[in-house]
Amino acid sequence: MLQGALAGLAAGGLYAVLAVCLTLMSRLVRVVNFAQAATGMVGSYLAVWLVVHTGLPEWAATLGGILLGAGLSAGLGWIVCTWLAETDTGTRSAVTAAVLLLLISLSFILFGNKPQPFRPVLAGPAFQVGGVVVSQVTVATVGLAVLVALACRLLLGRTAVGVRLRALSERPTTAELLGIPAKPLSIAVWAGTGLVATLAISVVAPSQSNDPTSLAMLVVPASAAALLGGFRRLDLAVGGGLVLGVVEGAVAQSDHLSLVRYFLPLLFIVALLLWSQRKEVWDAAR
Amino acid sequence: MNTLRVNGVTVARGAGPVIRDVSLELVPGRITALVGPNGAGKTSLLEAISGVLPIASGSVHIGPHDLTRQSRVGRFRRGLAHIEQGRAVFGGLTVLENLRLTARTGEQVDQVLALFPELAKRADSPAALLSGGEQQMVVLARAFAANPAFLLIDEMSLGLAPVVFTRLLPVVSRFAAEGAAILLVEQFTHLALGIAQDAVVVSSGRVTHQGPAPDLLASPATLHTAYLGESR
Ligand SMILES: Nc1ncnc2c1ncn2[C@@H]1O[C@H](COP(=O)(O)OP(=O)(O)OP(=O)(O)O)[C@@H](O)[C@H]1O
Ligand SMILES: [Mg+2]
Repeated sequence: MLQGALAGLAAGGLYAVLAVCLTLMSRLVRVVNFAQAATGMVGSYLAVWLVVHTGLPEWAATLGGILLGAGLSAGLGWIVCTWLAETDTGTRSAVTAAVLLLLISLSFILFGNKPQPFRPVLAGPAFQVGGVVVSQVTVATVGLAVLVALACRLLLGRTAVGVRLRALSERPTTAELLGIPAKPLSIAVWAGTGLVATLAISVVAPSQSNDPTSLAMLVVPASAAALLGGFRRLDLAVGGGLVLGVVEGAVAQSDHLSLVRYFLPLLFIVALLLWSQRKEVWDAAR
Repeated sequence: MNTLRVNGVTVARGAGPVIRDVSLELVPGRITALVGPNGAGKTSLLEAISGVLPIASGSVHIGPHDLTRQSRVGRFRRGLAHIEQGRAVFGGLTVLENLRLTARTGEQVDQVLALFPELAKRADSPAALLSGGEQQMVVLARAFAANPAFLLIDEMSLGLAPVVFTRLLPVVSRFAAEGAAILLVEQFTHLALGIAQDAVVVSSGRVTHQGPAPDLLASPATLHTAYLGESR
């Protein structure tokens, strides 16, 4: 059980990183980015393609993939900022859902439908607790999640750019009237989350089921984790991701329950939605 | 000294034009009162000048610079500030954070806080927790801190206690005296005309009267006909 739970922590770290990205996107540019994991998937696939077809060293290929992920996300952000600046969150999010499908089909066309011959960026154990091995991948993803969440907290709370981003997210028109450049700042947020998501996926993909659909659909458990923080709180998003990964890992150990793991994120989402609705029901019943 | 010139501006909104062929000029050091009945198009005109709404025809210039197709940020950088109708504070930001969006130095922050002593006490609380009047003060202070050459003010009195409002009017006057050009939209017509040099009356999207503010203040009959939309 403990072995399973710790094995799940690597996935949990990935969920947490993606959940932080989703939370930032929702807070700062008012989009639920369904294509968050898919952009990372395409970036990490490019890295594999570069290694196989150009013989580029692994680190350089990975870097190239990460930059592509950031660029892809920035491009999508540019489109949304240019043509959908005045639309509501629903419309903007629907566009990212379309991009998700587009990226999945595109990667089938470009890279085929088989898992990619990933070579691990990180491999091997980092340390042992009570005889159970914790892998380097686990340490890297969990560390990245915590680091990104802390860095964003500092950025948003303590820096002039962070305050501008918060102003922009609250009242975009008023912010622009005060000279805050909405478009460059928003595109920077898209690029930043694209970069971080691709980095995390590149680290974890070699040790996971890494066909295009599995990777792109990481957005589902990530959304579940982000939902725990109401798509606003970074700490809860990180916690949610880690807990979800650990529970999945533990459940996978049991023969009876192992099928349940695939439905865990959905169960998590439904439970959170019901929980968050309880007050409304009370109010309506008054 | 540059002036801001609005030239034959028409603004369309929803069903059709809400501002038709309006021209006016804002001159440094002078306050222009823009008055008219509810729905006349005052807010729409201000929004067209600052870039919130697109201009269907006509132009807006600051000196030789054509702002008509410029972004909101571009217009701000040319020295234009717009205090929107309603209390446009950033509720999630503290009072200080709101002010620092436009103030360049700590000194500038202190200067505007000196104009609004009520705010100094609340400097670190989120603006959302302030009263309506205090929020309106934050919005004013934030605009003053940008030190704009051209200031558009839409309903400054909204939510302010009359004593606070009458205390603020001289602050606006002083700001103009220091060289700013101000376009003041106000429901309290007489108070606005009282501190303004120029007056523009709009009704149903058209200018129905334009002239010195003191003259209009002295002639209630003229004001009345202009409100009813009879151009003269
Ligand atoms: N969002 C909108 N969509 C369509 N039409 C609008 C919109 N907002 C205002 N209007 C119309 O534009 C016209 C001018 O409105 P505007 O808000 O500019 O008037 P105003 O002079 O500022 O009024 P008030 O004194 O009540 O603030 C009105 O007839 C109004 O019905
Ligand atoms: Mg108005």
